[in-house]
Amino acid sequence: MNFNNLGSGDSGLENGISYLLVAGLIISLVLEITGVALLYLNNHSLEISQDPSMFIRGNDFFTFFIQQLRGENSHGIALRLMTLGIIVLILTPFIRLVMSVVYFGWEKNIKYVLITFFVLVVITISLVLH
Amino acid sequence: MLNIGYLTLISIVVGFVGSLTGLGGASILIPLLVLMGIPVKEAIACGMVAIIATSSGSASSYVKDRITNIRVAMFLEVFTICGAIAGATITTIIHPVYLYFFFAAFLLTSFLKIKSKDLDYREPQHQDRVSRWLGLKGSYYDEYSRKVIEYKADHAIQGGLGMLVAGLAAGMLGIGAGAFKVTVQENILKLPPKVSSTTSNFIIGMTALAGVSVYIFSGLLNLTLMAPMAIGTTVGAFMGGRILNKISDKVLRILFFLIVAYLIAQMVYKGVTAL
Repeated sequence: MNFNNLGSGDSGLENGISYLLVAGLIISLVLEITGVALLYLNNHSLEISQDPSMFIRGNDFFTFFIQQLRGENSHGIALRLMTLGIIVLILTPFIRLVMSVVYFGWEKNIKYVLITFFVLVVITISLVLH
Repeated sequence: MLNIGYLTLISIVVGFVGSLTGLGGASILIPLLVLMGIPVKEAIACGMVAIIATSSGSASSYVKDRITNIRVAMFLEVFTICGAIAGATITTIIHPVYLYFFFAAFLLTSFLKIKSKDLDYREPQHQDRVSRWLGLKGSYYDEYSRKVIEYKADHAIQGGLGMLVAGLAAGMLGIGAGAFKVTVQENILKLPPKVSSTTSNFIIGMTALAGVSVYIFSGLLNLTLMAPMAIGTTVGAFMGGRILNKISDKVLRILFFLIVAYLIAQMVYKGVTAL
């Protein structure tokens, strides 16, 4: 059965999104599992903690992301990996959005460029300003 | 006492049951976390992150199989993200006691799923101007009937407004609001049930991202809650998806009724005792 003619007719984008979602999820879960394992090895405890270091905090998501990559304001490798896992999870639908804007731009589909760009702008503003 | 190990196991069971019943992981997990003493706002915020994980996992295969309609999804996301951002902002501001009652009330919409009957889909003759202009149509191969189903959407703007409400509830309560989204797509946009549920699943990830964008710096996202929830619900949902077709509909419906009734009773009880 040839699936390429089915769906909404955007098979290139559909394939790309499918691979992106799987890749994002796998990378995120690997980071999370490794982080939790290291946390246990370091602390010999897996308690649900209300310590301030366990909470994600910052003023701008993208600056926060770069800080985590550089290891700034980090509370050890275990928490850093767990934070990066959550960041990858959050970035996956965001990248899907960027990919959609580029795809519809490439296809010169102005209507969907505007629709996806609107969503991208709103999400970006929300990630930057909150 | 609750720890990361137990929460991972609980999340696997919840992801499994949520996948079988169509409730999703977060709607079951949030009341359970509240029962175990986790502050309701923290449980809601962390639930949104778990939703992104389960949505990414299931949406990837539906998109690849061309059942999800990504144009319909992207149009509806315009509305759900606005609702989700507004809803999440409300949650960070209002007194937690209201959230127990809102959660219980919105769980009632899960029963909408049961009301929908699996009748043969008939493509609507009419398509409104906006849906036609946006090209909201498509086709998919239905394995059950072994034929290609052609469809087109209707009432795009009304459907969008319905999704605004779904997004508001999702952002406010940290859940996917999948049953509500599917109902809007089936009854207003007149999409086939399979396209509705898979497209809803796809949209849920973006709605959750919009909600998380508000929660991320509100000091409510706890790593020791999010990590086991994301790992557990993803693994559980994966396992549930593999055995879904092997369990009778009757068992699934009884399970669904029992769980929803318990969750509603528990959230109302929590709300009343917190007054």
